[in-house]
Amino acid sequence: MRKRFRSSIAFKLALFVLCGSVAVFSIVLLYSYVYSRQIILDEAKGKALNLALAMSRKIEQQFIAVGKLPKSLAGFLESSAFDQKTLFSVMKRMVSDNSEIYGMAVAFQPYAFDLKTQAYAPYFYKTGQGLQFCELGTPKYDYFQQDWFHIPIELKAPVPSEPYFDEGGGNILMVTYSFPFFYNSDDGKRMEVRGVATADVDLAWLSKLIEDMNESQKGFSFVITDTGVFVSYPIFDYVMKESLFSLAESHHDPRLREIGRQILHSNNGFLDAGTSFSPEDSFLAYSKILSTGWTFASIFPKDELFAEVSRLHRANFLLSLVGIGLLALLAVLVARSIAKPLTEMAMATKKIAVGDLNIELDAVHRTDEVGILAQSFTQMADGLKERDFIRDAFGRYVTQEVVNRLLNSHDGLKLGGEIREISMMMSDIRGFTALTANMKPEDIITLLNRYLGEMVDILLDFRGIIDEIIGDGILSFFGAPEPLEDHPERAVACALKMQQAMAEINTRNMVDGLPMLEMGIAVNTGSVVVGNIGSDKRVKYGAVGPDVNFTGRMESFSVGGQVLVSQSTYERLSSILVVKNILEVEMKGFEHKVKLYDVSGIRGKYRIALRDRDEIFKVLANPLTITYFQLSQKTVSSKGTLGTLREVSQREASIVCAEPLALWGNIRIILHGKHEQISKAIIYAKVISVDDANDVYHVKVHFTSVSSQAMDILEKAVCD
Amino acid sequence: MKKVILVLTFLWALFGTNLVGGDSALTHVTFVPQWVPQAQFAGYMMAFEKGFYKNVGLDVEILRGGPANPPLESLKSGLATFCTAWISTAVQQRAAGLKLVNLAQIVQRSALMLIAKKSSGINTLNNLDGRRIGLWQGDFRIQPLALFKMRHLDVIEIPMYSTVNLFLKGGVDAISAMWYNEYHTLLNSGFNQDELTTFFFSDYGLNFPEDGIYCLEKTLNENPKVCESFVQASLKGWIYALDHQDETLDVVMSYADAAHTGTNRAHQMWMLARMKDLIYPNGEKSLLGKLDQKQYELVTKTLQSLQLIDKQPLFTDFYRGRQ
Repeated sequence: MRKRFRSSIAFKLALFVLCGSVAVFSIVLLYSYVYSRQIILDEAKGKALNLALAMSRKIEQQFIAVGKLPKSLAGFLESSAFDQKTLFSVMKRMVSDNSEIYGMAVAFQPYAFDLKTQAYAPYFYKTGQGLQFCELGTPKYDYFQQDWFHIPIELKAPVPSEPYFDEGGGNILMVTYSFPFFYNSDDGKRMEVRGVATADVDLAWLSKLIEDMNESQKGFSFVITDTGVFVSYPIFDYVMKESLFSLAESHHDPRLREIGRQILHSNNGFLDAGTSFSPEDSFLAYSKILSTGWTFASIFPKDELFAEVSRLHRANFLLSLVGIGLLALLAVLVARSIAKPLTEMAMATKKIAVGDLNIELDAVHRTDEVGILAQSFTQMADGLKERDFIRDAFGRYVTQEVVNRLLNSHDGLKLGGEIREISMMMSDIRGFTALTANMKPEDIITLLNRYLGEMVDILLDFRGIIDEIIGDGILSFFGAPEPLEDHPERAVACALKMQQAMAEINTRNMVDGLPMLEMGIAVNTGSVVVGNIGSDKRVKYGAVGPDVNFTGRMESFSVGGQVLVSQSTYERLSSILVVKNILEVEMKGFEHKVKLYDVSGIRGKYRIALRDRDEIFKVLANPLTITYFQLSQKTVSSKGTLGTLREVSQREASIVCAEPLALWGNIRIILHGKHEQISKAIIYAKVISVDDANDVYHVKVHFTSVSSQAMDILEKAVCD
Repeated sequence: MKKVILVLTFLWALFGTNLVGGDSALTHVTFVPQWVPQAQFAGYMMAFEKGFYKNVGLDVEILRGGPANPPLESLKSGLATFCTAWISTAVQQRAAGLKLVNLAQIVQRSALMLIAKKSSGINTLNNLDGRRIGLWQGDFRIQPLALFKMRHLDVIEIPMYSTVNLFLKGGVDAISAMWYNEYHTLLNSGFNQDELTTFFFSDYGLNFPEDGIYCLEKTLNENPKVCESFVQASLKGWIYALDHQDETLDVVMSYADAAHTGTNRAHQMWMLARMKDLIYPNGEKSLLGKLDQKQYELVTKTLQSLQLIDKQPLFTDFYRGRQ
């Protein structure tokens, strides 16, 4: 069952549809997934970069704003002569007026403030108690060695220091902006660096900015210096301690190191940060803060970024699954709707194969191809039915073999024939006309149909072809149209079989009160013309030729229950025929007497033997007087002759008469009562022997028909 | 129970009176390393943390070193009983008349180096000619100056202080650096090793030993047992530190965090690993604590040639550690 299902159209179609739709859906899903991811990614990239750029600009502006103070202080120091008092008042005002500024210093190169002072660096800074002053120029602090002083002096350029924690609490991140200021020549040209103006900027605003951002963001942001050190990071402990590179090293994460280098070497970018920053797979967008060289960076978890796409694709995937399922189901249904009628038709075909043409197909009502097929199929069955009917009907009129020949061969209907050696058989009921003269027509038909039905069946069994049925006579032949090698044997066997069958027919006749029938058969073999004989309108498949006529004549010599075989047939079968008697008869057109063989059995493959027909004669105690008339060509001579019936058997009688009778001639005998003829006591008979004994002729006759009155008289005579 | 208390009382009576301050059963000494807490001094930290000093009867107070506390000044002033110092510094001081002695030589080979960016076109020593080179002041200059003299290099010397920022910002073409410290700082500022050209002084015939343990000769003469104990426990501390680097790093980081040095574990891990290379040169552990006379003489000769000392202090006067 399972195997059958696997090989079924429904399964195949469903499988194909399933595979096909899975493939199509997969391609579509994959494409849309990749494509929409790319779109989202591009969009996210743009957004992230913009955010990073915006943030870095924002920070930048803040730095520029606070950077302006030491710059303007440096400008003041370069452009005007000043003493300690003016310097102090300018510095104080700048520190107290700017909330982001924690403190400011002006640090001079050795002896650059005045020639007496080696180190001079006044510093004003904010405390809880207000503005404080401090002189940085102490041997212990040695500001000359500090980066904030040393580096801008060496570079002759403004430099923001590395961020650092303030000395006091250690929790406020600071950065120092240092602007070098120069001695000016008389024509306004910059000469040597005289010192550095600095502003300590509290970075609390930066930390706050990033913190606020991180609270509203799924990922997080951070700021690093130009060496990758964290200025701001969600893990506070990292700030100014760890760098991207130290993390890379302690986490054994070479990718992070590469990310760090990429960040430091470019102004902005968007890259795949993997899991270097958080357990979640992330992207990183960054942008440089140009005035400090620091970098603002943001981490975007991919999941978050692709959450929408993932949701969409989950939905798409589910819909696709449902779609595929529905398609498969549909495919099964469609396939079944095709396969079911096909199965039905296959069953119908099997029925047709065994000859059952009564088929009914549900699908004939459909208007699709399957319907058309079913209709055609039904038409075909109808056609076959019709053909069978025709064949059947035809076969009743014409032999089945001829029908087959006509139906199966295109030449079957062509007029014309061929010379073929065949065996012919002529059979006839003895005395049928006389027998039936007084019968009701229906009885005659019953009688005849019973007889012919039986005979035709036997003939067909032996593949005999019925040429003609004329009344009670049947002309048939063997060996055409289909050649049969053993046609003589078949013909004789068939004849014997037919004679055997007569007993059964007669039993039935007796039961029905119908007369007993006796049949004579002649079998002849010869070359004749066989073929379609007739005109275009009416054709008969038959045989013509002298041998056909000869067979008819042979038959006239036969008596009831006899099978006469011609010399030519005999010659072909001499070894297997059982010949009871050989008749030598004179026939028209033959110089010599013709030998006819009375055959009572056949050996070989058919092995048929007729029951012994030997008659037991009873000598009548009182011979019957008869009047007999010689018959010729079925006409009765008007002149009757008297004779005496001396002996009688079942079928034969011995007559003594004064005139010779023609051997094999037919006579009509009227039995006499005690005094006169009894007009209804009639016997038809054939002369089967004539003995001449001094002008008294002893004639043996074989009854062909005996009327019931005659039968009564004969029986009575036998009993006497 | 009573017995135990009796024994303790006896011990108290025996030692307690001799000792100054702190844990009354232990001898109080002070120790100052050259610089802020970092893995460079891991051995002393571990000796302290693992109780090795206490085990030898010492109550060691580790002072914070750095520019504000020059170690030899602390010795001279009596602020510190022991200190670490570079041999070049110590020899100069000895030659200048400060009676100090080397009790143990810890760092056997020189970690001092010059570093340049390959991108600045410096690939060989000769490329340094005419370049701006950031050099630490003081005794860190000795080897570079000797090298420039040997190689006849005319360089522009720019003073360099505690950070490498001037170099990072392009203010100098090369800088002096310690292998275990600034070199790694540069690597972790985003430079790859192959982007830097390095010149190790140890490769140019100037392999000066570096950190050693020093005290005043007077201290040694008066308390040889204390000195011996300090050295013994310190060496034990080093052995332990180098054998237990993870544990040691925890300690180093706690010291560094307490001092707000702003370092990170990765950096200290590198430093500790390099200290092992320097203390056990080529994996040779038997030299631990010893000063090799040949190396001593390399230092004194170089100092003499640079006219930093007049005459070489006798090795036997200078070195009073393991033979």
